[in-house]
Amino acid sequence: MALWGMVIDLDRCTGCQACVMACKAENNVPAVGAKEARRGRIISWMQVLTEEEEEHGGEVKRFLPRPCLQCDNPPCTKVCPVYATYRNPEGIVAQIYARCIGCRFCMAACPYNAKYFNWYRYQKEAPGQNPDVSVRSKGVVEKCTFCHHRLQKARERALAERRELAPGEYVTACAEACPARAIVFGDLSDPGSEVFRLARSPRAFRLQEELGTRPKVIYLTEGEGRG
Amino acid sequence: MADPADTRDAALLFPIELTGRGFYVTVGLLSLLILWGAIAYWTQFDEGLGVTGLHQPVSWGFYVTNFVFFIGISHAGTLISAILRLSKAEWRRPITRMAEVITVMVLFIGAGQILIDLGRPDRMMNIIRYGRYQSPLLWDATSISAYLTASIVYLYIPMIPDIAILRDRVGKRKLLYTVLALGWQGTEHQQKVLNRAIAIMAVLVIPIAVSVHSVVSFVFSMTLQPMWRSTIFGPYFVVGAIFSGIAALIVAMLVFRKAYGLHGYLKPIHFRYLGQLLLVMSLLWFYFTFAEYLTAYYGNEPEEMHVFWAKFSGPFWPFFWGMVLTNFVIPVLCLVRLGRRTIGKVLIASLSVTVGMWLERFIIVVPTLSNPRLPFGEGIYFPTWVEWGELAGSFALFALFFVLFTKLFPVISIWEIREGREVGLKEVEERLLTYLPDTAEPRLAEPERGW
Amino acid sequence: MSRVTGAPDRMVRALQWAMAGLAVLFIGGIVVWIIHLIRTAWQLQDVPSASIGISLVAIPVFLTLLGVILYVFVGLLGDRGGR
Repeated sequence: MALWGMVIDLDRCTGCQACVMACKAENNVPAVGAKEARRGRIISWMQVLTEEEEEHGGEVKRFLPRPCLQCDNPPCTKVCPVYATYRNPEGIVAQIYARCIGCRFCMAACPYNAKYFNWYRYQKEAPGQNPDVSVRSKGVVEKCTFCHHRLQKARERALAERRELAPGEYVTACAEACPARAIVFGDLSDPGSEVFRLARSPRAFRLQEELGTRPKVIYLTEGEGRG
Repeated sequence: MADPADTRDAALLFPIELTGRGFYVTVGLLSLLILWGAIAYWTQFDEGLGVTGLHQPVSWGFYVTNFVFFIGISHAGTLISAILRLSKAEWRRPITRMAEVITVMVLFIGAGQILIDLGRPDRMMNIIRYGRYQSPLLWDATSISAYLTASIVYLYIPMIPDIAILRDRVGKRKLLYTVLALGWQGTEHQQKVLNRAIAIMAVLVIPIAVSVHSVVSFVFSMTLQPMWRSTIFGPYFVVGAIFSGIAALIVAMLVFRKAYGLHGYLKPIHFRYLGQLLLVMSLLWFYFTFAEYLTAYYGNEPEEMHVFWAKFSGPFWPFFWGMVLTNFVIPVLCLVRLGRRTIGKVLIASLSVTVGMWLERFIIVVPTLSNPRLPFGEGIYFPTWVEWGELAGSFALFALFFVLFTKLFPVISIWEIREGREVGLKEVEERLLTYLPDTAEPRLAEPERGW
Repeated sequence: MSRVTGAPDRMVRALQWAMAGLAVLFIGGIVVWIIHLIRTAWQLQDVPSASIGISLVAIPVFLTLLGVILYVFVGLLGDRGGR
């Protein structure tokens, strides 16, 4: 069985936010409006975090694109009281919007703040939305699913054409959109895949590795060419 | 034992028999606050949790704080009354009933906070249908329902002889009292059954109460978040719960003492003993707090220190130092010498602790969330009128429940007071004699065998 | 036995036994619920050990509570019947 994962090369990331926009369009992530945004309620499954580098007195910024890290040992699924979030056999941490009771325990438990809450009903179903992704109601938690609907589609297509799912056939929207090709997506259990190779690079690290959450989003540190 | 002709304790039946204007004014005022809470909840139900001040990353705020706080208050009750009963403390007699009432009432309010907190209250039943025991929230659900059942039983059983008195003496609500009295006639067999049941419940309720606030703390300590993930959270929360419980009990006792003229029953000595208990709990609470924060400070882990400094000198400093002041400085200053003006000092200390323990719950819940591990920037939390409304409404609902209870049942156990007069005095004397060295065969204290 | 209320004695007793019945239903319901949760966890292979571990403590506690309640009801009501 596949183990979907992502490698993000921080050396290539320019902080252009193309991944963020692609994700929003692909997954019907609502725009909450300026007033709500000021109150800290932006929903952004993929978020580019910025950090000022201490050495250069704030002149140099670091970018850290952060989707849901799809932990293999997710702290959020453990605490869900109703099985609304769980790790599926292919390693994707799923969220069942129709089951979620909105207790926000998973948000409190996630060390990466990768879960978002619908404080209001931010949008209704409307033309122009991606029909493959459900529109979330108010009062439920939502999160990045590695564009899981794309996997389902690709798999159905392969099934209809009576063949195996080819590598590269299932890619997330953010990886597809990245102009710097900083985001690589693929099967971590396939030794031939690029993510498999990159995940073993000496530059590879995981966020908050010491917590033992075993994220499947792997970062490559900035190389020596910087500074 | 329940002699209907005995009119000595008529003062205890007075609030049930007669209702004055003060009662209606109180109920009216409380209803206004409850109305505020109801409007706030309706707004939130209609529009979504967006009407609160919650956001990313502070996704838990007042409601979870209230949940921990109210469940904490519930330990007043049953736990204290059980410990006093088991230790045969004779001064417990006018106190136990009120302690038990607080527990039952406040548990409903506390459990209700979680429902208020839900984004989709319409899917509440999912917890029953699809609940999963890996989640500490389900531990809470189980533990709190056990505690609620136990404390209702523990309130009801010792009340049966009093209900029988009401059945025989009060002209109102005959059917209710007759049914609830369970045919109590005070026969020897009935008394044996009752005393045995009370003894079993007193033993059973203590571990259940301890489990309740331990699993409430586990909601936080089972996560990986800085300043939440702590092994002492279980006992720390239990100590805080008993601490706030005693404070709430003292406040309730003083209110009803004044309102119903119970000065003859709730004497300064009762407040002095409870005040000393409160002092001990204050010191214990401080010790736990000190141990908790020193460990974090010494370890000096960056993420923990973010939260630590946010509490110590960052945006949450008024709450943190306010908590130290109200939970430790004021109570210790008030309670360390209780010679004169006992009641006033104990009242100030208790009110201070009630506020302080709410702040303590707040300072545990919010700063951790507002200082995420990744560089998101701090999230500051300002509650809106909705959250204040729910807070006011919750307190008012608790007070209303309590007031209504006192109109239906005696707030001080009549039969236990009588038992104290008739049996207790003699028992204590006999018990005391068993503590003393035997004087039947006077013997000098010389060793039997020379060593 | 002195009649203290206008309500018929049988109705009072029926209400009292109904209270006991309610307690049985309530605690029985909780026990059934806990068993339902174990079954769900087992079917989904979703950490059934947690459910079983907790139920090992919780179910006996609830049954003990029910035992005390029934003991009081039977002890008090039974005595009245004997008089």
